[in-house]
Order: sequence, then structure tokens, then C-alpha cells
Amino acid sequence: MKEFASDKKSRVPAFLSFVVIALFYLAVFIAEQHLPATSMLFTVLKKGATYALVAVSMNLLNGFTGIFSLGQAGFMLIGAYTYAIFTIPLEQRESVYQYFQGGAVHFTVPVPVALIFAGLAAAFFAFLIGLPVLRLKSDYLAIATLGFAEIIRAIFQWNQLGPITNGSNMLRMFPNFNDFNIRNASGEVTVYLSTTIPFIIAGVCIALIVLLIHSGYGRAFKAIRDDEIAAEAMGINLAHHKQLAFSISSFFAGVGGAMLAMYQTTVQAKSFTSAMTYEILLIVVIGGVGSVTGSVFSSFLFVACSEWWLRFLDEKQMIGTFEVPLLRNGFRLVIFSLIIMIVVLFFRRGIMGTKELPDLFRRKTKEGIK
Amino acid sequence: MWSTVFPYLLSGISVGGQYALIAIGYTMVYGILRLINFAHGDVFMVSGILMVYLVASGIPLYVSIPLVLVLTAFIGFLIERVAYKPLRSAPRMSVMISAIGVSYTLQNLVLYITGGLNQIYPTIPWISNSVTIFGATTKMVTIITPFLTILLVFALVFLINKTKIGMAMRAVSKDFETSQLMGIKINSVISTTFVIGSFLAGVGSMLYFTNYTTVIQTSGAMPGLKAFVAAVFGGIGSIPGAVVGAFIIGIMENIIKGLDVILFKAGMIAKPLGLATFSDAFTFALLIIILVVKPTGLFGEKTTDKV
Amino acid sequence: MENNILRIEHLTMQFGGVVAVNDLSMEINRGEIVALIGPNGAGKTTAFNCVTGVYEPTNGQILFCGRQIARSSPSGKMRKIYAGNDASAFVGDSVRLSPDHVTKLGIARTFQNIRLFSGMTVFDNVLTAKHLRRKSNFLTSTLHLNYAEEKRMREETRELLKAVHLLDVADEMATSLPYGKQRLLEIARALATKPTLLLLDEPAAGMNPQETEELSAFIRHIKDEFQLTIFIIEHHMNLVMDISDRIYVIDFGRLIASGVPDEIQNNPAVIEAYLGGGDE
Repeated sequence: MKEFASDKKSRVPAFLSFVVIALFYLAVFIAEQHLPATSMLFTVLKKGATYALVAVSMNLLNGFTGIFSLGQAGFMLIGAYTYAIFTIPLEQRESVYQYFQGGAVHFTVPVPVALIFAGLAAAFFAFLIGLPVLRLKSDYLAIATLGFAEIIRAIFQWNQLGPITNGSNMLRMFPNFNDFNIRNASGEVTVYLSTTIPFIIAGVCIALIVLLIHSGYGRAFKAIRDDEIAAEAMGINLAHHKQLAFSISSFFAGVGGAMLAMYQTTVQAKSFTSAMTYEILLIVVIGGVGSVTGSVFSSFLFVACSEWWLRFLDEKQMIGTFEVPLLRNGFRLVIFSLIIMIVVLFFRRGIMGTKELPDLFRRKTKEGIK
Repeated sequence: MWSTVFPYLLSGISVGGQYALIAIGYTMVYGILRLINFAHGDVFMVSGILMVYLVASGIPLYVSIPLVLVLTAFIGFLIERVAYKPLRSAPRMSVMISAIGVSYTLQNLVLYITGGLNQIYPTIPWISNSVTIFGATTKMVTIITPFLTILLVFALVFLINKTKIGMAMRAVSKDFETSQLMGIKINSVISTTFVIGSFLAGVGSMLYFTNYTTVIQTSGAMPGLKAFVAAVFGGIGSIPGAVVGAFIIGIMENIIKGLDVILFKAGMIAKPLGLATFSDAFTFALLIIILVVKPTGLFGEKTTDKV
Repeated sequence: MENNILRIEHLTMQFGGVVAVNDLSMEINRGEIVALIGPNGAGKTTAFNCVTGVYEPTNGQILFCGRQIARSSPSGKMRKIYAGNDASAFVGDSVRLSPDHVTKLGIARTFQNIRLFSGMTVFDNVLTAKHLRRKSNFLTSTLHLNYAEEKRMREETRELLKAVHLLDVADEMATSLPYGKQRLLEIARALATKPTLLLLDEPAAGMNPQETEELSAFIRHIKDEFQLTIFIIEHHMNLVMDISDRIYVIDFGRLIASGVPDEIQNNPAVIEAYLGGGDE
């Protein structure tokens, strides 16, 4: 979807990227039909898609608008709760809201509508929060948004709001990814979609973010990132555009939060801590601040490592009769931290820098000519 | 009424003193590097863990206490050298991300070492003793904290105002580049700042964990954030500001923890409202209010940007 | 049509105890090229920043095409330490427009210490400056429903780049250009906002004599082509004397002379300010 400054650039890299992505989706769909549903691969793909969306939404702020916000977990929380509250089936409410007489909400909406609600709720809160906070400068803004996420977390756990949020208790029984599978009359799954649909949701959202980045508004965001004073002198209203970027980013963080709820099958406010925001921030940094492709790639990498590939580090391993030292619970995270520090200190541009998928093909074709 | 409020006030003053000791580290580092040292709260936590392990290994308290303080100061020094110094000319965002990375690393290291279990903090004699003051029973540490804090702050203010290294610190915080040109050894000033900040966090950690008795890898996150808020509230870069801010936050937070009880006993509410949920959130609400109303904090100085 | 484009009345800008601009009054008429000169630190850029809304003046008012774009009088703490002229003239009804608003009204500027968008290409730098005149909102823009508008803006951007002879480097990163071309790009970017009044802050700084000479022809050219009025701060006296219709001279924030180039060249106060001060 790259725009063309002059007509010299070819459309081939963009087209190739599109083909690669389409093939990848196809591969996911086919794999889902033939591999056992319990395969670790699908856990990684589902969670990876969720994190990819959240990471890209964070990158829209940090990488493309230059707003260093640490409120992501808070907006995910809002999205997750909004989704759960509007989709828990009526007949299950009595048991979910057991301490609050079945809760105060007595209707449900279809899943796609609930997803949009999740985004809108997060965007609405972001709009309110943005009014005072976006005037602040870089690190003050970071700490203020972090603070807001904590406030939101406290509000959602408040007992007085229990009829809506279930207080500090868990929300559960809402439709999750497995409910996307198509079943026949006897309850057997005929078409597996529990990974493909999350991919499509995340894909559509990320595509929208990419389109935004490449629009005039995206350019205005980048101008603010590069030089606020010059941007303002060129007639770009800082408050308006920052507010817009903040709300849009939060919208997608909200949708991502709803996806996380579906992935986890339960939601509890206390799990949306600042540590979650830090984790997403580190994903963005590893992928490359200012690269959508990088964020997506590093999300899958991060999830795959933490859920699957590096799991062995957390358990005792024997090579013959030799017990590999150091390996026990928590070692994986230590290795992880070290990798992150190495990236932060020595590879500050991350995996992709500011390059995108089409740029990779572009370079290859150039080399081909040489 | 008074007898209901007093215990909360007392623990508020005590926690406030502990926050103050952490907040000084934030405010000094920010004053010099313009960096929110996100790892500072974790240094505080690591200091607690060190104490647990040193005492468990049989080292007597009169050795382990000074040893913990020295090691904590050294960790602060090490973090600066490894994670911040290489990024001196990098954008501010990179340094902040590095700080978050360090925080993540320290937490995960401790998680690995402790297995993620709560560690019982060793009992330090005398300050762990119970005392009764104006009808409220509390630990000796509660009484000592504010006095010790004030004492340390006076020592620090003396250091900053009367010694050569203190003068260098003031110069660097006023103008980083110029003081470098004037021949001040920036790196040793920055290291000293981290050493002092971490040392005070070490003292704070002893007082804090004597009160709360257990340490876990996430123990430093919340006190760290609150201490930072205290530093902003008081006017970042100002040591007296950080101390005043910390006491205010400590007291308010504890009053809110007990607000249900206080209001209930005063007959103002009929049933508990669960307001204690907001004792942490309150701190951040305060932060946002102060940032919006008076971003320079209570004692901060105004700066202008050059176009 | 109003002939007067910009009118600055008794402008004073004080930072703490320092009075950077003191009681500056001047006016610029349609189609003129007017220069503001003075030794380093005389307060020229500060005056620019007041006109463009970056600073809120301490005292005085500024009118653009007869419309107030800034008006204020000392307030708060400043009231006590105010050291400028006549604090009572502009009391009440203060006006302050943000820089983007001022730009929308038709005042564009360049910066002394070049401020290009470093993460963008030459082309995108100019295209971004067209953003303020767009009619699409973020939704239609995201969904690329504003195809016609986008196409037109790209076409105009290309025209502008052609006018400043930068079309051949359109796809290069802005910051990779040589210094002189970066200055031209700044001008092109400012022109993209479709201004009626163009403020140039030391456009010749860092240029060699030949480039400077080309610049003066270029400034005349864009003035005619885009029907501009130009307000310029410059140190290169040859350039200033060559292109200016009228010149204002300030020293220590105060206006010390004004007139056509010939008058200024022979004005003793000006010569004194430039040569006699001894502290330059």
C-alpha cells in the first residue's frame, strides 16, 4: 500500500507482500483443518495475533506519532471487560455474577458488535484521558498514562461497580475463539476457524492502521513525531491530532483486549498490570519502533519463545545422566530479559528498524539487478 | 474519631518516610539525566532480597546490614554503567525503554532465584519491637522512620550544598553540556548520584520490609511508582519537594485505606463502600492533577524551551 | 482590499527579567519585501515567534490583514517585574492564536535552525504541509476515499518541488540533502501551506556567495509567482539591500531605524549598532 512520490517506484513489492500475507493466511487455515487443535502452534498463533494487534496499536502512538504512552494495559482492560460484559449469555449470568444477583446488564450483543463496542469504549476513555494528559511532555506523559491505567484497574475492581464489572471476581463464560469453529448438528467441528478468525480480526485492524499511517493524517502524525514545532508551524493542530492518534490507538488496543479475553476465556482486572504494558512495549522495541511489520513479527516471535520454544528452559533437562545446570522455573524469563537488554542497548533499531514488508522485496530486487 | 484516625496517620507518616527515601533517588537522577529511572523501585526490591539471602546464609546482622547497603549502592552504580551510560547521546525514549528493560530483568532474575515465592524478611531486633503510642500499637520502625528520614535528608542536603561533589551535581543538573565543558567529570557525578540514590533506597527497603515482612519480585513496582509520583508532586529535581511529597502521599494513601472504617465509625456512611480499592489509584489521580494544574510541582522550577 | 498585511503595535516580549523585544512597532504592506535586521541577539527571531504564535507577547498587539492575531498585556507575576513600555495600553481582551491557527490564516514561516521532518522524504515534507487545507476527515482519508484530493495535492507538491528545483531529489530523505537545498526545501514546505505572508528566518545562513545570489533571485521569483508578501530576517547585507523594499533595524530589542535600503545604509545609528558596540 506504499504511496508513490514519483512514478519511478514499482508496485511489485507491494503486490508481493500482499501475496505473501495471503499465502500465510491460507497456510493457517489449512493447518487448522489438519493438525490437532491442541497443537502448541495454534496457541502461539492465536495469542500472537492478539499481541500483534496490540503492539501495532502501541507503535502507532510511540513509533509514528512520537507519543510515549504507557496506558496500553488500561485500554486493553476496558476492551476486554466491555466485550465480556456484553457477550456473557443471559442464562450464564446468574452463575458468573453470583455475588451480584446476576448483574445489572440484561442483554447481549453479537460478537462483532461487542468487538466494536470494546474498541469504542477504550477510545472514549482515551479521549477523556487525553484531554488533560496529552499536553504533557514525553516522560511526564508516560508516567501519567501509566497512572491512568492503574486508576482504571482500581475502578474496575471496585465492589460498588460489581453489578457491571463483577468487582474483583472473574468474568467468564463469554464466547471465545473456539466458538468460531463451525459445528454440525451433533456438535462435531466441521470447519475449524478458531485460529483463522482471530487472524482475520487482527489482520483487518492492522490493515486499517497501515492505511491510516499512509494517509494524510498518518503523515501529520509523523510530522508531529519528527518535530512538533515545525508541525505546528505547518498548520497541524497538535492537540487535535494527538487526541486523534491516542483515541485510534486505544480503539485498537480495546479490540486487542477483547481478543485477549477470548484467548484467555476469562477476564480479571488484576492481570492488566503495568508489567503487561512493559511487555508490549518491549515487543515493539524488539520489532523496531516505527515498523508495523516489525511489531507483528516480533509479537509472534515473543509469544512463540515464551509459550513454546523456550519452555524447556523452565524445566529440568537431562542429557544422558548429566543434568543441565541453571534450568528451572523462571530461567526462560531471565534469558528473555537478557535478550531484550541486548536489543535495547546494541540493536536499538530492532529487527526491522523502520522498514516494512514491501521494503524487503524492494531490496531484494535491487540486489537482483546488481 | 481521633483514635480511629491515629493508627492510619501513624503508618502513613512511616510509609511516607520510606517513600521519601526512594523518591530522593528518582528526583536526583531525574534532575541530572532527565530520566525516569523505572528500575529504581526494583533496586529497592533487590535490596530486600539481598537482606533475606545474606541473613539466611548465616551472616550476622551487624555485618549484613552494612553489606546490603553497600551492595545496593553498587547495583545502582552497575545499572547506570551498563544500561544508561551507553545511551548517553540516544533519544530520551531509548533510555527510558532501557530503564524499563532493566526493571524487567531485575524482576525476572529475582523470580528465578526465589522461585517466585514470598520471602520472609529477617527480623531486625529493636526496630521490629512493638510499642504503644497514644493508645495505638505499632512497630518501633514506624516511629523511627520519619526521624531517620529527616536525618538522612539533612545529611544529603549538607552534601549537596557544602561539598565539591555536591556543587558538581548542582551544576550538572542546571546545565549538562556547559558543566561538561567546564571540566566537570560528568560520569563520576552521575555515578555518585546513582550510588547515593540506591543507598537511600537500601535504607528505605530495610524500614519498609521490616514493616511489611515479605518480599517478592514485584514488591518494588508499586512503592517505586508512588515514590516517583511523590518526586513529581514535590517538584522533580527538588529534594525537599520529594520528601514533602512522599509524606503527603504516604499519609493520604493510608487514610484512604482506612476511610471506610473512619467514615463508618463517624456515622457518615451506613455500610462500607470499598474505598480502600482506591488507595493506589489515588496516588495516580494526584499525579495527574498536579501535572495538569502545576506541572513543575510544589517546589519545582520553571523551564522554557527554545525554538 | 486591505493594503496593510501585517501590523505590529508596541510589541514587548519579556522572559523573566530579560526584555528581548521592547516596544516594537512596524507594518508590512501587500506585495512588499520587508527585512528585519539587527546584531545577534537583538530579538529578531523572538519577534517572529510572537507573530507566528509560538510565544505569547508580554505586551502589545499584532494584526494580520486587519484581524487581531495576538493581543496581551502583562499579567500575573509579570505585572510586577515588567520592564517594557506602557503596560496599560492593551489591558483586557487578550487574544492568542496557536501557531497552527496563524498558519491557517495565511502566515507561513521557515526556521533559522532548519526544522525539516527528518523521518520523511523531500516529497512527503512538502506534501505534509498541505495537510492543513484538506477537506477529508480521518475516516475518509484512512479508507482512501479522498482519492481526488490526494491526487491534486500530490500534483501541487510536484509543481512546488519543480519550482524550487528539488524534483529530482523528491524521494530522498530530507535530512540527506546539502544545507542549501534543505533551506530551499523549508521554503517550499512553507509555500505548500498557501500563505499570503511568508516569514523567512535567515534563509541565507550557511549558504555560499553564489547560492546567496541565486537565493535573492529566487525570493523575488516566488514573490511574484505566488503573490506573496515577504518578511525576512537576514544577516547577509548584500541580500537584504538587494531585495528589500523597506528595512527595520532593531538593537537590544528596540527599533533604532527604519526606511528604504539607501537610508539604512547611511544611518549613523545602524552603523553604530553593527560596528560601534564593540561587543560583537
